[in-house]
Order: sequence, then structure tokens, then C-alpha cells
Amino acid sequence: MPATLETKTESVTEPARSPQRLKLGVPKEIHVGERRVAVVPRMAAKLGKLGFDVVVESGAGTEAAFTDQAYVEAGARIAPDAAAVWGEADLVLKVRQPEMNEALGTHEADLLKEGARLISFVWPAQNKELLERLARRKATVLAMDAVPRITRAQKLDALSAMANIVGYRAVIESAAVYGRFLGGQITAAGSIRPATVLVLGAGVAGLAAVGCAKSLGAIVKAFDTREAVREQVESMGGQFLLFEFDEKGEGEGGYAKQMSDAYLAAEQEFIAGHAKDADIVITTALIPGKPAPKLLTSGAVVSMKTGSVVVDLAAEQGGNCALTERDKTVEKYGVTIIGVTDLASKLSRQASELYSANIVNLLEDVMKDGAFALDLKDEVQRGMLVLKDGELMWPPPRSEVRAAAPQPATPVAAAAPFEKPKPSPWPSRIGMVAAAALLVALGMYSPPELVPHLTVFILACVVGWHVVWNVTPALHTPLMSVTNAISGIIVIGGMILTTGGKVGSVLAAVAVLVASINCAGGFLVTARMLKMFRK
Amino acid sequence: MTATLPNVAYIVASFLFIMSLKGLSQPSSSRRGNLLGAIGMILAIVVTTAKLWAPEAGLTLPSISSVGLLAGSIAVGCVIGAILAARVAMTQMPELVAMLHSFVGLAAVLVGIVSKMHAEATGAHAGVAHELEVVIGVFVGAVTLTGSIVAFLKLRGSIGGRPLLLPGRHMLNLVLFVGCIVLGAIEVQALGSGGHEGLSTGLLCLLGVTVLSSILGVHLVAAIGGGDMPVVVSMLNSYSGWAASAAGFMLSNDLLIITGALVGSSGAILSYIMCVAMNRSIVNVIFGGFGAEVQKPGTAIAAGSGGTAHETNVQDVSQMLTSSKHVVIVPGYGMAVAQAQHAVREISDALAARGVSVRYAIHPVAGRLPGHMNVLLAEAGVSYEIVKEMDEVNDEFPETDVVMVIGANDIVNPAALDDPGSPIYGMPVLQVWKARNVVMLKRSLAAGYAGIDNPLCYRDNTLMLFGDAKQSVMKLLAAVTS
Repeated sequence: MPATLETKTESVTEPARSPQRLKLGVPKEIHVGERRVAVVPRMAAKLGKLGFDVVVESGAGTEAAFTDQAYVEAGARIAPDAAAVWGEADLVLKVRQPEMNEALGTHEADLLKEGARLISFVWPAQNKELLERLARRKATVLAMDAVPRITRAQKLDALSAMANIVGYRAVIESAAVYGRFLGGQITAAGSIRPATVLVLGAGVAGLAAVGCAKSLGAIVKAFDTREAVREQVESMGGQFLLFEFDEKGEGEGGYAKQMSDAYLAAEQEFIAGHAKDADIVITTALIPGKPAPKLLTSGAVVSMKTGSVVVDLAAEQGGNCALTERDKTVEKYGVTIIGVTDLASKLSRQASELYSANIVNLLEDVMKDGAFALDLKDEVQRGMLVLKDGELMWPPPRSEVRAAAPQPATPVAAAAPFEKPKPSPWPSRIGMVAAAALLVALGMYSPPELVPHLTVFILACVVGWHVVWNVTPALHTPLMSVTNAISGIIVIGGMILTTGGKVGSVLAAVAVLVASINCAGGFLVTARMLKMFRK
Repeated sequence: MTATLPNVAYIVASFLFIMSLKGLSQPSSSRRGNLLGAIGMILAIVVTTAKLWAPEAGLTLPSISSVGLLAGSIAVGCVIGAILAARVAMTQMPELVAMLHSFVGLAAVLVGIVSKMHAEATGAHAGVAHELEVVIGVFVGAVTLTGSIVAFLKLRGSIGGRPLLLPGRHMLNLVLFVGCIVLGAIEVQALGSGGHEGLSTGLLCLLGVTVLSSILGVHLVAAIGGGDMPVVVSMLNSYSGWAASAAGFMLSNDLLIITGALVGSSGAILSYIMCVAMNRSIVNVIFGGFGAEVQKPGTAIAAGSGGTAHETNVQDVSQMLTSSKHVVIVPGYGMAVAQAQHAVREISDALAARGVSVRYAIHPVAGRLPGHMNVLLAEAGVSYEIVKEMDEVNDEFPETDVVMVIGANDIVNPAALDDPGSPIYGMPVLQVWKARNVVMLKRSLAAGYAGIDNPLCYRDNTLMLFGDAKQSVMKLLAAVTS
């Protein structure tokens, strides 16, 4: 939704400063080409309300178009350099994992105050050396890349948030290079055929790419080994390419798993067939902890039309395309192959906003009464915890919970935490006994002419029950007014009695009068209402 | 004419009524259903008139004056009914329905009393069972009569919507009920004593029952809060059916019994549906005062008012709506009060013309009558195919860009799901907060009809557009179409 609304409607109240407040540091990212910042001014204001003193390194938000002034207005303090931020912060928020700061000549991890906490992307499996450094600082570290893929954790799933951006940007990048329109048009100068975009891998990034390419007017096809994502692809407006081979592709945690060689060969052939007709191929297939699968072979690239574009979002893990060169845009066999790895940074402002919202959502869960209180029983927090006071906590114990398939920015509705208490069987038993007693009494004492009437009455109740039960809610009011009119049938009761004495016949006439109002009014107003219901 | 012929005609009429109710369950067959009902009614009246004229049926030929009285009453009643039906505004449907219920109640009381007088005059002995039927008929009729009048006044706003909670109200109900039983018992006993004196005692007792049950009717409905009116109205609908049925027992008329039973069970089903929609026990509704626990302003207000509401303006909302793909509109009683349904329809048409998919989400108890919102939207010309029920639409909120809540409050209150301390906890609600953005059109931050603060107002994805619903909607319409 329009971002302008968000800033306008947020009200900022200056919290009272107290000496116990935790200091939260936001250093400038130093990785080459990294333009994001972990906390944006709007979220800095929220963190202030959560009970933090926010300290931001001067210029930390510049690359994402957030000025120091904006942070000051949001209640944050500006520190002159990295050393000052790292030195005083009880909790450091970053995007990239700590690395060597060439300017200062020290590693960022060594700058961390002893016993302080760090929240950032960590990639603990790939960064053993970094973990050792942080452990020496007795640090507590939460990894934003280790958020469990469960429904409840979606609000802090930074990987999904970033993947969404990357998928969008991949389409934009390819469109910028591709020499034609993406959408079809009929113009005075002739009709333009829409471009065909092939998306390989329908995770969050893939789905975002499908949605973006579709909205630009392209014909979008998507391929994924997991048939479960078919519905998601179709919901984004893409056509799902069904590849049939006797092997299921869904691995643990909703990610794709690695397949056998025979499978891979068949898959490559299948993809090559579709790539030949595609103008743009966007590849997003990743397998956790493994090099990216080579889905697009050199042969497939050769067969593609001249002027086509490949964007390889797996370039960091070796690429899905055999010809991808990391961080480079190259042209091979007339096909432009883009191997960029910093697409999220290209939308630094958007990416920073989403990332910092993820972080604030996390801290809202972690903070209890102004104190940093990790809940190790919480599946989400435990899953993210890499180091606790220097002690290695990663990987977390395996959980039995089956992960949900990744979803693009569409949190699944949590089941209502509400259960009806089981009704006691006694009222119905008592009711049955009472009914039985009543029937026996009826059989013994009632006059014979009552029974046929009762029969009719009970059968009519049952009929009414069955006839009315399936009424659509839209017709509740008309149903009510028609039953109202029908209950005007009491008019005949009045009519039968008009033959009585003087007073009696007048009273009966009054009964007839009001009941006729009911009949006429009820049917006519129902007719009026029903006339309005149209398709 | 033989005595059997009218009874056969009554079978036809009963059949027509059943088909009428069946027709009313689907929009496509509803108009035919209404027509069948009307035909059944005309048939019943014509046959009954003919029966009165048939000496074979064992009745004397009616005098000219009584025929005139009969024809006059029916004619006048039909004219009044027709005028009411033509004049009533769709927003006033609840009042009309309540008023019509009271008429059935009145007719049932009169039929009971007259039938008693009739028996007295002719000295006919119909037996204990008949006397019991009379007492029950008068009792149900009087409760329906006065209960409907109170409901009517509440709906019109002539008396406040707050529940009247007398101390010891359950005791009072019990006393009134027992009083009716005692008087009824005396009435039935008086039958046995014979003679002129005994019969008039019986009549007096019957009048006593009428008075006591009238008070009971007033008290039962007065104890129910205005927000729970949909249940009350459908309960009274049910009662009016039982009253007609009781009259049928009195007069040994199967048509009345069948028709009354049909209406009674239909009303009972509607009440049950409404109760489920509000997570209320039907027993509490019948015995009244179930709003009692709701009215603890101290705890209720404290529960959700921590937070800042985000105010927005018409331009921003308009931009938001026009740049959306999926919009859901949630109308509530506030829209009915402001008569804003036509302007709302124009907004949704304008959005649809821009390619935005617009749907309406109706909570089962939105408004003051079951299905009230559907009628208003139909009046404004909204196609019923884009009007969705709660269960259909709740799953779709996560894919919805903007939900516009117009004059609704409790039916979109998240506290019903996540705050066990909330008085409406457990009531199924429209989970609008799952949409990307919610715009609430509201007069102020005041609590809804149930007197409960709404945490939805303070959510981060909720924007408040303050002001009178009609004016806000008109401004929004101008902004969207410009």
C-alpha cells in the first residue's frame, strides 16, 4: 500500500529516559555494495517506545535515503563513528553478518561489548570463524536467517521479505536489459507480442517475480519440483509447468531437496524445451546448504533466442545457469546473463523498511517489561538463537513440527484459539425423560380428539425445520417477513369466531383486522424486497 | 358444499405455505415462494368465508351485519397493510417486522378470549384440554404482543437500547410465570364447577393471565440489549407462530396448527442461527437479561484502549482504494442509520469500473434484523453475487488489499478471538485485520453497541476515517470518481 500513508499516520511520543534503558546500536553497513540499514527512522521511534535508547552511526541510513536528521526526529541519537556505536550498545542490530572493518583495522565482532547481543543475518553454517569470534565476546546472537518457517514466525521472516524484493527487482533488471516491451500491445505501427517469462523455482522470490512479470503484461510460466506450489503460482497469474517424474521434490522445512542425477537430466531437458521459447528466464532455485542446482545448461542457453535475458538469483550459491558469472552481467551466445547478488540492496529503502519491521516484530516478542528476555521454550526464538552468552546453541534441537510451505507475504490464518466447552449431556437426558413422561401423561389423560391435532402439529414442526434449515443468510429478512405474513393465517381464527355474540364478534373483527394487516403487509413488503434482489 | 371440501382446501393451503417457505430459501425461487404464500392465504380466507356460509357445516347462516363486519375488517386491514408495505423504508424493516409480530400476538389473544366467551355464551363444554389450549394460546399471544411492542419501540429508538436490569429479574419472571399457571389452573378448574358464576370466574382468570403474561412479555424483551435485537426479533417471530398454532388447537383447525408450527420452527431456526453467530446460549435469550455480564464498563474499556489510532483522510483512502486489487466492504448498522447504502454502491461501482474487485462481507448479526444488510444492499442495487457471508470471506482477507468497515464495530472486533476477558469472546467475527489495510469509517473512537472497546482501531494496519458515515462516504465517492 502507499508508503506515504504510513509516515503520515504514525504519531511519535517521546518516552521518558531512564538509566536502565537498554542501548541499541545501529552501525553503518560496511560490506561492499551493501546499501541497506537495519533500522529505519519510523522503526527507531517504535523501538524507543519499546524501551530502547537508539544510537545510530552517522550516515548509516544515507544509502537507503534516510538522513541523520530523520533519525534524530524519531528520537534516536547519532554517534559519530562505528567504534562509538559498537562500544556502547547492549544490543547491536545489523543487516549483514559482522566482518573485517578495513578502515578501523579490526573485526566488527571484536568491537562488540562483552556480553552484548547481536541480531543480524549470520549464516552460522558458513561462518564458523565468526561464531568463534563472537563466542569470545560472550555474545548472545540471534540469526535473522534462521527464522523457523512456521506461520507464527512470518512477521519476522526477513528472508521472505528480502526474497520478495529480489524477485521483483529481478524482473525489473531483466526488463531493463530486454530490448522489447514485456506486455503485448496493438498499435498503429503493428501489434506487439507479449514477452514470455520463465521462472524457475517458485519460492517467495519466484512467486514475486511471477507477480511482477504478470503485472507488466508478460506471459508467465513457472517451474518448480514441488507440485504443492502449483496453486500459489496460479494465484499469482502464472502458468505452472508440470514436470512428471517419479520422485517427490518437497524436502524438510518447505524447501526443495536435492534430486537424483537421472531426475536432474530429465529436468534439464524439460526446462531447455521451455527456455527455447522464453524471452526472459529468471532462476531462483536453491537447496539449503548445497550448491544451487544447474537447471539451465549451456546447451539450453545456446538454444535460446538472441536478445533473451537470464537473471540468475542463485549466483551467490554457484548459479542455476551453467554460464552465470557471479556479480557480473555477461553476454553469451546472444543471451544476456545477469549474475547479480545484491538485488535487495538496489531497493535499499524498501528492503530496509521491511527488514527493520521484521526486527521490531522480533523485539516486541523478546522484550518483557523493558528487559531483554529470551524465551528458550519459544520455537521461534530458540530456532534463531545461535549463541547464548558465548555458548553455542546452534543448530537447535530438531522440532517435530512440520513446516508450512513458504508463502509470499500472505500469512496463513491462525486457527482461532478458542474451544467450546463440551456441553454437559444432562440437560438433554433430563429433557428426554421429561418428554417421555409428558407423552405417557398425554396418552393416559388427553381427550382422543387432541391426538390427531398433536400429530399434525409435530409433523408440521419437523417439516418447517427441514424446509427452512438451508435458507441463505441473504434471505433471512424476506423469510422473516413472509413467515410473518403467513402467521397472519390467524385471521381465519377470527373469522370463524365472528359469528359469536355482540362483544365477541367485535373483538373477533378486531382480530381479523390486525391479522389482515399482517397478511397484506407481510406479502407485499416481501415482494418489494425480493424485487430488489438481483444478480 | 360438504364439510370435507374446506378441509381439503386447507390441505392445499398448507402445502402452498410449505412450498412458500421452501422457495424463500434460495434467491432464484424466492419470488415464486412469496407468490405461493399469498395464493395459499387467499385460498384459506376464501374457503373459510365459504365455510361460514355453508349451513351443512353446522353453523347458522351469518347475518348481513356480521358479513359486513368481516368484509370490512379484512378490507381495512389489507389497505393498511398495503400502505405500510409501500411506505416503509428499507432501513425501517426491523420496526415493521416487530410491529407485525405484535399484531399476530394481539389476534391470538383476542381469538383466545373470544373463543372463551363463545363457549360461555353457548354453554358448550369443550373439556379440560380445550381450556388448557385457550390459556396457553392467550399466554403466548400476550407475550408476543407486548414483547414485540417493546422491541418495536427499542428499534425505533423511542426507548433506549440499554437492557433494563431490575434486581431479582429472574425471580420476577418466575413469579409472573407461576402466576399465569395458577390463574390458568383456576380457570381450568372453574370449568368443572358449572353454572353461570363459574364460567365468568374462568373469563376473569383468563384476563388475569393476559395481564400477567403481558407484563412478562415487556420485561423479557426490556432486559435484552439493543445490540442483540436480531435474536429477539427472530424469537418473537417464532412466538407469533406458536401463538397461531395454539389458536389452531383451540379452534380444532389443522390449517392454523400447521401454519403456526411452520412459522414457529422457522423463527426458532433463525434464532438459533443468530445465537450461534453471537456465541450466545438460546436459553439466555429466552429468559432475557443475557446482556447483563456484558455491561461492565470498567473492565471492558480498560481492556483495549492502550494504543494510538491512526487517523487518515478522504484523499488517502481514495488513493488506497483505487490502487488496490481486492477491496472488501463491511457494512454495519451505522451504514443503515446514515442511509449510506446507495453512495456505498456507487463507490463500489466506480472501483469495479477501474478493475478493482469489490466484494461485500456480511456478518450474520450485522444490523438489527437477520439479513438486514443484505436487504439494504439489494435495495441499493448491489448484485447479491458479490455479497459474501462471513465464512466465505474470512479466508480471503489475507489476499485483500483494503477492507473498508462502514459503521460496524463489534462484528469486526479481534478481542472476540484473542481476549478471553472480553464479553464477546468466542463470538465469530469478520477477521478484517488479516487484510493488508483496514479503513474504519466511524463517528468517533466510542465503543460499539455492546459497550466494548475495539482493539482493531489501534492496530497498525488500521486507519480511522472519522466523521458521519454518510458524509464520509459522499466525500469518498467524489474523490474516487474524480
